[in-house]
Amino acid sequence: MKPDSHLAITVHHRFRQPAERVFDAWLDVRLASRFLFSTETGDMVRCDIDPRVGGQFVLTDRRPDGDVEHTGEYLVIERPRRLVFTFGIPAASPTFDIVTIEITPEGDGGCTLHLTAEMQPEWKDYADRARQGWAQILAGLEVALGEAGD
Amino acid sequence: MNNPLTADQLDNMFVALADETRRAILARLSLGEARVTEVAVPFDISLNSVSKHIRILERAGLITRRRAGREHVLRLEPRTLAEASDWLQSRQRSWADRLQRLQALLDEEDATSFQQTKGVRRP
Repeated sequence: MKPDSHLAITVHHRFRQPAERVFDAWLDVRLASRFLFSTETGDMVRCDIDPRVGGQFVLTDRRPDGDVEHTGEYLVIERPRRLVFTFGIPAASPTFDIVTIEITPEGDGGCTLHLTAEMQPEWKDYADRARQGWAQILAGLEVALGEAGD
Repeated sequence: MNNPLTADQLDNMFVALADETRRAILARLSLGEARVTEVAVPFDISLNSVSKHIRILERAGLITRRRAGREHVLRLEPRTLAEASDWLQSRQRSWADRLQRLQALLDEEDATSFQQTKGVRRP
């Protein structure tokens, strides 16, 4: 098990395109509706994006087993390097993620995108969890898993 | 999603893991089964308080309890952690797929604008 694969997940991708284009795609209705929460068998029937801090997005994918509505709010918009938004599927769960996207321009005209999605369950003992910090929780989980020798 | 854990179960588990004492109890149980009284020893808290932590861990499915005479014996259930890990890995794949789709879209745009500016070479 990788240390990063628990409560916060991270992925990265090296793009051939410049940072600005990769950044803009996240806030562009036409592009976002095609890559963000779309599925092979689904049909993106709604894609509303209000690209400002505090603005909301709603992307609804019509799938064979019903509509799936993805919603969130933009927390940080710093073109082209940093974009932070919340993301959840209200019908499935009251929990939401905080998604942080960091884009670093590369010398060859491309860029590298790092994405972190952190789970933010709406817990009753939220303050307790916040104080502990995810790093510690992850370390604890790793220890428990590692020593259990699953 | 092929996720065997419900949102409630995940919440219960992450609540259970968000406490140092409970993680210490899990670490102790990862060494092997233990009685409730044994688990309580290293903590400077009442047995009653330890019992509360144990109930939260049980609710999360992270540990189970069986009776052995007058004692309760606790056991770690590593499968619950493994299921949570699978769930997180499937989410990681979803994000990786989204980035792949974005790459494909941008490449498609590049190909289109190249055709528009330079003209299309047809065989």
